[in-house]
Amino acid sequence: MNGRVYLDHNASTQVHPEVVAAMLPYFGERFGNPSSVHSFGREAREGVEIAREQITNFLRVSKDEVVFTSGGTESDNLAIKGVAGARGAGHIITSPIEHHAVLRTCQVLETQGFAVTYLPVDGDGLVNPDDVRRAIRPDTILITIMHANSEVGTIQPVDTIGAVARERGIPFHVDGVQTFGKVPIDLDGFGIDLLSFSSHKIYGPKGVAGLYIRKGTKMVSVQHGGEHERRRRAGTENVPGIVGFGKAAELRAREMEAEATRLTALRNRLWDGISARVADVRLNGHPTRRLPGTLNLCFRHVESESIVLGLDLKGVAVSAGSACTSGNVEPSYVLVAMGVPLDWAMGSVRATLGRLNTDADIDYVLEVLPPLVERIRSLSPAAVS
Amino acid sequence: MNYSETLIDHFRNPRNAGMMRDPDGIGEETFDGCGDLARFYLKVVDGRVADVRFQTYGCGPTIAASSAGTELATGRSVSDLLTLSERDVAAAVDGLPAERLHAAQVVAGAIRAAARDFLSRRSAPSGMKQHV
Repeated sequence: MNGRVYLDHNASTQVHPEVVAAMLPYFGERFGNPSSVHSFGREAREGVEIAREQITNFLRVSKDEVVFTSGGTESDNLAIKGVAGARGAGHIITSPIEHHAVLRTCQVLETQGFAVTYLPVDGDGLVNPDDVRRAIRPDTILITIMHANSEVGTIQPVDTIGAVARERGIPFHVDGVQTFGKVPIDLDGFGIDLLSFSSHKIYGPKGVAGLYIRKGTKMVSVQHGGEHERRRRAGTENVPGIVGFGKAAELRAREMEAEATRLTALRNRLWDGISARVADVRLNGHPTRRLPGTLNLCFRHVESESIVLGLDLKGVAVSAGSACTSGNVEPSYVLVAMGVPLDWAMGSVRATLGRLNTDADIDYVLEVLPPLVERIRSLSPAAVS
Repeated sequence: MNYSETLIDHFRNPRNAGMMRDPDGIGEETFDGCGDLARFYLKVVDGRVADVRFQTYGCGPTIAASSAGTELATGRSVSDLLTLSERDVAAAVDGLPAERLHAAQVVAGAIRAAARDFLSRRSAPSGMKQHV
């Protein structure tokens, strides 16, 4: 433990030093516009294409199937609006625990005449593939289900859902922002036609992401301008960002498997330690089908923000499940969809581990968290419903 | 979120936390927006607040404002507390971010309710416990 403990890796990660080193020349002598024909442009283009190769090697797809974007949100927008725009009308199937980039895009499409089905999830946050099958209509144009949820980490059965989509010939989009570089993604095996994936969740820079588009998927572009990215995404490429993203993906190919094992063990030790020391605490999300480093807990009769503040004052960064805006605390919509009772859901806290976390970090959290919860509970009236 | 040092100090070391046996007045306030709840207990001697305790469920600012509220109330006359405003409470923690003003609202409301409770007990018919 070195002063502060960062346990919010599903929000963002520290850029890997090797990634920073790979990016630096592209702020300096290789600053050209990759669309330019001169040597400056060619050098920048080379950086972009090396990165594309690093990413397509990692995903085992061909180079013309990946489009670089400005972030996971743009990738989700491009995938959903791109397919919807190509069809003009129709029905979309999704879940209520998707990222807002998917949910709000679907809501906008509803105002434009598209129909959307939001499938239920079970208590562990899982979508039932049979529900997907039953929801399909003759006019269904897209199924969009996330690979893993950022709050609770539950990993969806995207392979089974993908098989259903493929059997019916419906494009299948997967928001893989939380899984890319953390758990294996077999695009062909899972039957995925579109995959959103992001850089800053895997020790790359912010402001850059990608969308995998399977060859033959009918799409329109969403943002118009130049001929960039084979006319699928106009706008000068974020060259240093893309170079860093490529390097980050290459590093994940080397480190992902061992890291997943290590983080799962650390995360389980954190949960075992907390549940042994703190009463009235529950684990949210699937017990095993879960992102390696994700631990989402509810402390009953404690408001999550007070824990987040208390831990922050001890140098530990976690995130609150419920968000307070203008005095209105909304319990997490993900936990609500999973049926978590309100008096538990208000006390949800998410700890997400990453490559720099150590056993000493976990020891420290286990030292400071239980007395903090006890102290906050001692201030509270005994029964709050 | 940026909080004042005073607020952080009250959150870390809450003053006068816990329940009170045989209080002279109890008041509670909830904030529907987020479910925050503050409960204040008063001990009154000669019309002035001699002792205050609080119990609070809420976010860090609400806990801190509760602690600061007990210091505000101590030594004041009960009738003064009837007009305690959320601005008074917010000032006692050196200000609150706009989106956390509910912390002062719930605490000021609970203290006013405790003062009203004391006065209504005092004016109640004999048989009720009185501390005058």
